[in-house]
Amino acid sequence: MIEVKQPKRIPFIGMLQGMLTVFKHGLQKPVTVQYPEEKENLPDRFKYRIFLSMDDCVGCTLCEQVCPNLTISMQTVERENPRNKRKLYPDVNFGTCTVCRNCEEICPTDAIYLTHVFETARTRNSFTYNPEELEKHEEEVKR
Amino acid sequence: MNILNRIQGILSPLGHDLSFAGAYLIETIIALVFAVTVVAGMVYFFRKYMARVQNRIGPNRVGKFGVLQVMADGLKLMQKESIFPDGRDDLPYKIAPIIVFLGLILAFIIVPYSNLYWFGSLTVTHSNVGIILIFAILAIMPIGEIFAGISSNNKYAMLGALRAVAKDISFEVPMMLSILAIIMIASVNTSQPLNLQNIVSVQNIPFGILEPIGLFIFFISMIARASYSPFDMGESDSELVTGDTTEYGGLRFGLFYMGLFGTIFLGSMLVSVLYLGGGSGPYESSLGFIWFLIKTVVLVVISLTVWLSMPRVRIDKFVNFGWKILLPLSFINLVITGIIVLGGIA
Amino acid sequence: MNTAKPLNKYVELNMGPQHPSTHGVLRLKLLLDGETVKRVEPVIGYLHRNAEKICELDYYCDSLLYFDRMDYVNSLSMEAGYLEAAEKLLGIEPPERAKWIRTVMAELSRIASHLVWAGAYGLDLGMLTPFFYVFDLREQLLNIFTEASGSRLLTNYMSIGGVYQDFNDKIVYMIKDFIKTFPKKLEEVFNLFVKNDIFISRTKGIGILEKDIAISYGVTGPMLRASGVEYDVRKAEPYLMYDKVNFDIPVSYTKDCLGRFLVRYEEMRQSVKIVKQAIDKIPDGPYFNPKAKKSLMIRLRGEGEAYGRTESSKGEFGVYIVGDGTVKPYRVRVRSPTFKNLSVLRELGKDVMIADLVAISGSIDLVFGEVDR
Repeated sequence: MIEVKQPKRIPFIGMLQGMLTVFKHGLQKPVTVQYPEEKENLPDRFKYRIFLSMDDCVGCTLCEQVCPNLTISMQTVERENPRNKRKLYPDVNFGTCTVCRNCEEICPTDAIYLTHVFETARTRNSFTYNPEELEKHEEEVKR
Repeated sequence: MNILNRIQGILSPLGHDLSFAGAYLIETIIALVFAVTVVAGMVYFFRKYMARVQNRIGPNRVGKFGVLQVMADGLKLMQKESIFPDGRDDLPYKIAPIIVFLGLILAFIIVPYSNLYWFGSLTVTHSNVGIILIFAILAIMPIGEIFAGISSNNKYAMLGALRAVAKDISFEVPMMLSILAIIMIASVNTSQPLNLQNIVSVQNIPFGILEPIGLFIFFISMIARASYSPFDMGESDSELVTGDTTEYGGLRFGLFYMGLFGTIFLGSMLVSVLYLGGGSGPYESSLGFIWFLIKTVVLVVISLTVWLSMPRVRIDKFVNFGWKILLPLSFINLVITGIIVLGGIA
Repeated sequence: MNTAKPLNKYVELNMGPQHPSTHGVLRLKLLLDGETVKRVEPVIGYLHRNAEKICELDYYCDSLLYFDRMDYVNSLSMEAGYLEAAEKLLGIEPPERAKWIRTVMAELSRIASHLVWAGAYGLDLGMLTPFFYVFDLREQLLNIFTEASGSRLLTNYMSIGGVYQDFNDKIVYMIKDFIKTFPKKLEEVFNLFVKNDIFISRTKGIGILEKDIAISYGVTGPMLRASGVEYDVRKAEPYLMYDKVNFDIPVSYTKDCLGRFLVRYEEMRQSVKIVKQAIDKIPDGPYFNPKAKKSLMIRLRGEGEAYGRTESSKGEFGVYIVGDGTVKPYRVRVRSPTFKNLSVLRELGKDVMIADLVAISGSIDLVFGEVDR
């Protein structure tokens, strides 16, 4: 246990020191990143947009079960895949996705995974990605 | 030679009476344009300066370096719908922002601007009682704030107005006493010590050096007059939303906003006129206005640094400060000034 | 004698829920006599999101992310608090390495929380600038969190049986770099506060909270320690690895807002001390208990009840979970420190000025995600 004490200060001089500190910061370089023109380097593990490898998906619905807020729902897609007999693939509504990464964690075949892509803003009203769109790059989906 | 004569000289083909009338009109318009430009420049400078000391960039999207940001904001405020609160006191509610802005503009006309090259003296008003005029006008501006607070039928605004009254009373007495000291010390060398130009011209030694206590009191009073942090109890945004201007929007809010920033500049101008020698400096015959501006801008930077680094004083503590510290200090200042005047040091 | 309606001389004022200084959605019903507050009544519930009930509808692993959203400036401590109870209930012991990692992250999170508080407190008192300096400092922490977990604010980093991802060299380097430069920068920012006469006059002797009142209201955390009680769950009932590191509990006997400020400042320095020790002590080994890995994470069944208590940045954070043998909890109950600390505002806000009330409610460190849940 230590007792905290009010630090010593000289009346009025302390305020001038504070003003000087504030003024000195004005001479430093601003830390703002001007987003659309310059982009900060994203950390290696930064994750946002869910991708799906449809060839790997076995339609086990584990991602649907673990998803905490009904972001993922399974959808039937007519597609030849011997490992996915039920033809069930995840369909993701990014409007409710909280990026909890549980789907990536639980996927037994690593078919569903999160990537660096985060610029998913669009004019389209719905944020739902069907399984085919989940496989594509963001630019293709937007088009 | 002053700017009035220069303009009259250009207009002289119109005849004596007409040319003088036209010259007065043009001179006043120039002063008004100067006032509005200064206010817009102050807003831009404040936003940039605040951003830089906070490690940000500030406005940089509208125009080069964001210089048109103020104009864009002004246009936005003009386009906004005027929303009137229910149960307001209509006339005071509507004239309050006008009183504040009008007071500011009037004060800008009285300040002695000193000389600039060919134009000669830029001062508009050559009154023998300029210092009384300017403080009369400074006393008008709080009336606008009080009108705004009381008429808008809002509890926050009411509290803000009450705070503004308490604040104004407690700092204006020491302020006037420090002005009295200025007049005393100026009367040594001039027979018209109420004339602002005379006050500037007799400052061979700036009065701020002769009476630093007076400078301190007056600077604090000017901060309190413009009511920004640490003395912004009237519109303290974290306690009373925005205090007396809570119910204002659109252009009426814009007038209050311009009044705030204009008063910061006005206060800095007054400090530099009364205490730092206004337009005097090396090469004073031709460059007085430039010296005046430099002194003012330095004071503005100091004021803004104070604004950005200080928390708000509680209203009762400020009233205590005004009556128990500033008032005795200003009396001490008067006594010291008396000694200086009688001892012939000035 | 005219004593018919004594309340009429007072003004009733609603402060909030939309008000610049109520930190989100606190509503204060004030009874004013001029500038003096005669009575203050906090009204809460404007950010109620039913988190406790939602936890009953989700798997144990999913409930974690509702805890992120309770105290959203301090999400990693919240996760540690939930896992303290959940792992007790489920009988899953995280490996040593995961515990050390959690200790480091919880302490960094505590620093992040106190930084936000200091900046917001400055804004409450009218200081505009320090807010940006503390967010500049916090940005480094958020980068560390992103590097570790992939998200900045709502990290969901810890998970049942360990942590989501292992520490790598880069994160360790970033943390070491942070704790090397942080104390000096922190001191610079805090000198803006504690060396300023106006700040001292606004906080010293304001909002005196007596020891017995604090204890009777269940106040914990820096609020309690500023009232002179040496109580910290990290010392009283060590969890994670707090018994293996060396640190002190800051206590202030001044009982006022300034004391709370200084206690939080010292706590940050102690957190740096803890991180400095812990980062070197992280052992090699697994970062995850394989019993809760992959598809097993939704098959965890808990029976009985468990209570876990931890020290979040606001105070003692308790989680009580009842399991009925299924994959979902039967009941989750949260003892949120801010809720308890807020209830004492009624005592503190008597016969103070409006400006003081703002200073006092700011010193409680309110985060409404946690009060309303």
